[in-house]
Amino acid sequence: MIISLKDSIKLVGVTVVCFCAVFVCTFMLSFYIDVQQLNGLLTDQNMRLLYQAQKATAQVCAIVTGGVLAVIAVVMLFFYIKIYIDGHAKQFGIIKALGYSNCKIALTFWIFGFSVFIGCALGFGVGYAFAPLVYNGLAIEGAPEIAVNFHIELLLGLVVAPAFVFTLIACGYAYWALRCPLMQLMRGKTAKIKDKSYKANKERSFLKEMCFKTLASKKSVAFFVAFACFCFGSMMQMGLSMENLASKTMGYMILIIGLVLAAVTLFMSVTTLINGNLKNISIMKACGYSLKQCAFSVLGGYVPFAVLGFMIGTAYQFGLLQIMVNIVFKEVAEVPEYTFNIPAFFITFALFIVSYFSVMAFYVLRIKTISVKEVMLEN
Amino acid sequence: MLKAENVVKSYNGSEVLKGVSLEVQNGEFVVILGASGSGKSTLLSVLSGLERADSGNVEYNGESLSQMNDKQLTEFRKREVGFIFQQYYLLSHMTVESNVRMGADLAGNKNFREIISSVGLGDKLKSKPSQLSGGEQQRVCIARALAKNPNILFLDEPTGALDEKTGREVLDYISRLQSERKFTMIMVTHNSNIADMAQTVIKMNSGNIVETYKNTERKNAYAIGW
Ligand SMILES: Nc1ncnc2c1ncn2[C@@H]1O[C@H](COP(=O)(O)OP(=O)(O)O)[C@@H](O)[C@H]1O
Ligand SMILES: [Mg+2]
Repeated sequence: MIISLKDSIKLVGVTVVCFCAVFVCTFMLSFYIDVQQLNGLLTDQNMRLLYQAQKATAQVCAIVTGGVLAVIAVVMLFFYIKIYIDGHAKQFGIIKALGYSNCKIALTFWIFGFSVFIGCALGFGVGYAFAPLVYNGLAIEGAPEIAVNFHIELLLGLVVAPAFVFTLIACGYAYWALRCPLMQLMRGKTAKIKDKSYKANKERSFLKEMCFKTLASKKSVAFFVAFACFCFGSMMQMGLSMENLASKTMGYMILIIGLVLAAVTLFMSVTTLINGNLKNISIMKACGYSLKQCAFSVLGGYVPFAVLGFMIGTAYQFGLLQIMVNIVFKEVAEVPEYTFNIPAFFITFALFIVSYFSVMAFYVLRIKTISVKEVMLEN
Repeated sequence: MLKAENVVKSYNGSEVLKGVSLEVQNGEFVVILGASGSGKSTLLSVLSGLERADSGNVEYNGESLSQMNDKQLTEFRKREVGFIFQQYYLLSHMTVESNVRMGADLAGNKNFREIISSVGLGDKLKSKPSQLSGGEQQRVCIARALAKNPNILFLDEPTGALDEKTGREVLDYISRLQSERKFTMIMVTHNSNIADMAQTVIKMNSGNIVETYKNTERKNAYAIGW
């Protein structure tokens, strides 16, 4: 066994994203199916409209959350596998030199699909556990109660199929990534060094250049940083606004999902950045760069993406709530007007700034503990 | 003057430096000689402020490194110290120019391109370290260290990864530079021939200094054995 179960534990990020996606999809889709029990039972015009709107909401929510999070999970999985292969290129080179085929090595990556299975299975279970609460929250006053039923097709579609597909993706991508010359792997390189012709030379200081180059060498992290801030910005504001619009429980649920997703993705991105740059930072430290300069040189390039993610998140939640309130629930009388929630924005923005500085502080502390000599001994 | 008094350093309970004392005058070229594992690199990292001694004292021009906090130690390395390591430790994702700039920017040094040319890499400014030979990479390290205008240069087996011809070239370049600019230079090696180039030789054995002597003449890099 080349890859141990322990390696797949590092994919908590993927597991958490899958959990959130399946969790939301489970109760939303199951509500979507079960609410149709009411079909034909509702006589009141207003109630029928509300019923239609709820059906549409459940569908939209499930598709949006499921779709967005599935894309994130796939990207994350690629990202992890790439990092894993890069970090173990020498070992894979040696294994290949011993005579193992790419195919055989790639198949061992099935274990990465396992983390998806865990996330989906947990999300499914917890989603069903929460379903009665959601049904209650969404219950139409005066309408008959809706019972929570178990749907096998949801189990297949939300747990079995994703686990299977993700396992295939993991093995397939690993196979693709391992297809580079043996000697190159043995030397610890997976990708060819691109000989990009240099553009008109901008005169940048070393620290700025280091920011840009770190960013360029880990572009996918920019995506995750933006996503984390997107989650934070959108779900936090949506959660806070929900309190007035729909039920408190829904609001808190969205808030918590947003915070969890943001925290996990951000934590993953930052740790990847730290670990990938240990050696560079220790050289800078040895030279006499301060901790703050070291932190800036690695994290600085990602700040614009963080802000961008946050802004898109703000716009996104505003747009989504607008659509919900003004289109889906337009004809339903009791839903209040929705305008941009300014207090929620400022609360979220303040928390965003605070979190940003906490992450920086955490990073500086981590750099402080890097022993220059130890990193240099590892050779 | 760099002075160490009774320096002790342990890792996981085993003493790697067992009470080392030495004195190096400003502008002196010292070679620390010893077998692999005798504690040379550890001594170098303590002398240069990369690490703290467990006990004992290290003093540089009257300032005690042991009493400095982390910030002051960083400032000390920034102001005074240059490093050259056996494994180069270049930033692999950055160009030769940026790597040298890393040292130059700290000293506000604008003529880093001249320094790169002076180590013979003027046409490799935009190359990445992985596109260079071992000798060339080591010359980038020299340029990076010199770009800081250090007052004291530490070298840990700078020729350990190089073949004889390239090794001699690198040593020749460094020692000529040291005679010209008169910075203090402390070089660690396990190759006893290299010791003939130094003014002072300090021999180490299992964490102790066992002998210190001065050479009557400094041989150049092409006159020593290998
Ligand atoms: N950071 C460290 N952690 C644990 N042991 C170390 C560390 N640095 C050095 N050692 C140990 O100390 C001894 C001396 O190491 P070193 O100073 O590198 O010797 P030299 O440079 O003379 O070969 C070795 O046995 C090495 O394993
Ligand atoms: Mg050594």
